[in-house]
Amino acid sequence: MSDAIVIRDLVKTFGAKRALDGFDLTVRTGEVHGFLGPNGAGKSTTIRVLLGLLRADSGEVRLLDGDPWQDAVALHRRLAYIPGDVSLWPNLSGGEAIDVLGRLRGGLDPRRRAELVERFELDPRIKGRAYSKGNRQKVALVAALATDAELLLMDEPTSGLDPLMEAVFQDVVREAAAEGRTVLLSSHILAEVEALADRVTIIRQGKAVQSGSLDELRGLTRTTVVAGVRDGATAETALGALPGVHHLRRDDGHVTADVDTAALDEVLAVLPRLGVTSLVAHPPTLEDLFLREYSDELATLGVREGDAR
Amino acid sequence: MTTTTAPARVPAAAERSGRDDPLVGTGALVRVALRFDRWRILVWAVAVAGMVQVSVDALANVYADPATRAARATLISSPAATALAGPGYGLGDYTLGAMTANEIALWVMLPVAIMAILAVTRHLRAAEEDGRLELVRSAPVGRDAPVVAGLVAAVVATLAVGGLTFLALLSTDLDPVGSAAMCAGVVMVGLVFAGVSAVASQLSSHGRTASSLGMAALGVAFLLRAVGDVRGPESTSVLTWLSPFGWAQATRAYVDERWWPLLIGVAFAALCVAVAFRLVGRRDLGTGLVPERLGRPAARPALAGMAALTLRRQTGAIVSWGIAIVLCGALIGVLAGAIVDFIEDDATLGEMFGSGTDATAGAFALYTMFLAVMAASYVVTGVAAVRHEEVATRGARVLAGPVSRWRWLGTQVGVAGVAGLVIMLVSGLVMGVTAAASLDDPAQVGVLVGAAAVTLPGIACVLGLAVLVYAVAPRLLGVVWAYVAYVGVVGMFGELLPDGSDALSPFTYLPGLPADEMAWSPVVAVTAVAAVLLAAGFAAFRRRDVVG
Repeated sequence: MSDAIVIRDLVKTFGAKRALDGFDLTVRTGEVHGFLGPNGAGKSTTIRVLLGLLRADSGEVRLLDGDPWQDAVALHRRLAYIPGDVSLWPNLSGGEAIDVLGRLRGGLDPRRRAELVERFELDPRIKGRAYSKGNRQKVALVAALATDAELLLMDEPTSGLDPLMEAVFQDVVREAAAEGRTVLLSSHILAEVEALADRVTIIRQGKAVQSGSLDELRGLTRTTVVAGVRDGATAETALGALPGVHHLRRDDGHVTADVDTAALDEVLAVLPRLGVTSLVAHPPTLEDLFLREYSDELATLGVREGDAR
Repeated sequence: MTTTTAPARVPAAAERSGRDDPLVGTGALVRVALRFDRWRILVWAVAVAGMVQVSVDALANVYADPATRAARATLISSPAATALAGPGYGLGDYTLGAMTANEIALWVMLPVAIMAILAVTRHLRAAEEDGRLELVRSAPVGRDAPVVAGLVAAVVATLAVGGLTFLALLSTDLDPVGSAAMCAGVVMVGLVFAGVSAVASQLSSHGRTASSLGMAALGVAFLLRAVGDVRGPESTSVLTWLSPFGWAQATRAYVDERWWPLLIGVAFAALCVAVAFRLVGRRDLGTGLVPERLGRPAARPALAGMAALTLRRQTGAIVSWGIAIVLCGALIGVLAGAIVDFIEDDATLGEMFGSGTDATAGAFALYTMFLAVMAASYVVTGVAAVRHEEVATRGARVLAGPVSRWRWLGTQVGVAGVAGLVIMLVSGLVMGVTAAASLDDPAQVGVLVGAAAVTLPGIACVLGLAVLVYAVAPRLLGVVWAYVAYVGVVGMFGELLPDGSDALSPFTYLPGLPADEMAWSPVVAVTAVAAVLLAAGFAAFRRRDVVG
């Protein structure tokens, strides 16, 4: 078994709305897979299909070599789920909720449970109705991470956490990955995915628009080059003549351009003739990649691609 | 309620008023609240007014001549009956009006009080609890505006129920002045409990706790009046005067109207509202004056599995429904002796309570059916709790673990079903024991437990229908309540309704013990229908999407 999750051509409709429209996803066993997309793109629908809560209209879905709809109970012994919006039982304390969920699957490792409660600074005595959003989320995180599940399905697991707890979360996920667990991490927080994910899938309107390792995705796109030059005007003309140079702009003695990977050689060849005083080149961030996939949507929203960064 | 002088640069409006107006935005919030509640208000008003109209018509038919009314007056003046009726004005000349005010008014005031409590806690506390109020208060809206809007919505609902009930009563032969006094009393009780509930909403930071406090106040008020009226008829006990129900019934509607007792209630409601406004000004948004208690850091060993979880969630509901239904059974048993004497004196009632045979048996068959409908109502709340669990996405959390849908639904439905059946059997037993005592006939224990047992397949049928509706069209679960109401009406008034109108109730087919002969084939058939409904529900639930 090399792939924990395989989804091919998945379609799920709610009335007239096609929430998933021929969606593909492959998550390899043992990897942390980032799952990106804005609200309504189909991330949560995908995870709920994987949990067997929603029934796929068509397409193939394999989860841990099983059918998530038919074999739900057997598969759920091997996975843990962390929802983004956690609702707890109002009259049960957080600690009781963790234990009830754990015992439904045969019990939790008490040492691990105690360690996670401590690390996430959770007060387990508070009643479910009295927790803040972030604390409800910690309850769900402890309940899921204290299991020995081989697959973790996370649907925006950190949307209510503060930056300190976000750091703890990232540590815990790295440890889980080091133990060989597979993680599907759906998130809005691009830095979190960039820090944790081996591979990434970007979903848009129910379809996968990009999928691969971060390096692969970066290879497909542009490097941002910022050069300090003696004569900005000459540099602008010289660089502007090259194919594969985009968004060229000049600001006094600096020129900035987004350069296709194939054109990097030529740009570097031209630069020495322009009297370079400083040079910065950085690969596109995940944010750049993500926003590029959504560039037309940004345009309709009246945001220029450069400004969004 | 800040009194600080406005700083130099403030918007013109605030400058004019000199300080922040706590009522800014009230008008808009009132419109939102009424829009939110319009269907609810309509349903309450139509249901209560319709119930009053049907009850008055039924009383008018059954007690058509003075002799039966006099007999009724004797029955109702017994302590146990007085506890569930009123102070007994006009018992000497028990007219239809006196009967309506004495026996029906209380059962109109109770639902109106419940409606007012739920409306106020919904607007004042639930909105704050789930964060909506925070959003509203962040707009230019005064601190007191949401409270005023919630109270106005509750007052409008109370007036709507009282007004429609008054219109319904105008269509009867009753004296309009008496009807006005009775309906004014109903509205006054609604206002009092709206006020009480407004204070309760400031004490606790949770809507459920706030509405429970309101309900507890309702229970105390009910008991004070009951004990007061038993100890001193015609409002002569101090206890009666400590209860809003007592104030309302002290108007002597249809007998010799007096209006000043209503002023006590209005003044008390105003006092409660004033206290609530003081409390709003003293606390932070989202908090209550009584702090939340902490729970256990880890679950006890017994809290494991779906059944334990469901029991932990549902024990409160099971116990409160159970106590209410069992108390009804006890009351019927205690009253049995008086009822029997009364029915044996009266041919019309003999007709209503059964066909030819022993009048006791007919009465017990009817009351057993009444208890069964109450047990069926509890069972429907159990299924409604399953839906609530799903809508709150806790169902998805549990189903994401190694819990099958059948186990998840089956355990919760099983707990509700078993609890409903046990409640029914216990209420039959208690009715039997008390009836055995009041009739001096030990055989009643076995007879009435048997009568209760025979209704169980009918309760299971209602459960099966609720599960099927929940599985196929969860949004339509409310329709099951209409069905329960139908089963109750055709069960209690079947003899007065056209033939065939009771064809859809399972209790029509079950033998009405102890009046009817025991017959096994309908019991088996109704059990089979219940099993089919449950099986269809479980099969459908396995196939549908679950709210995540």
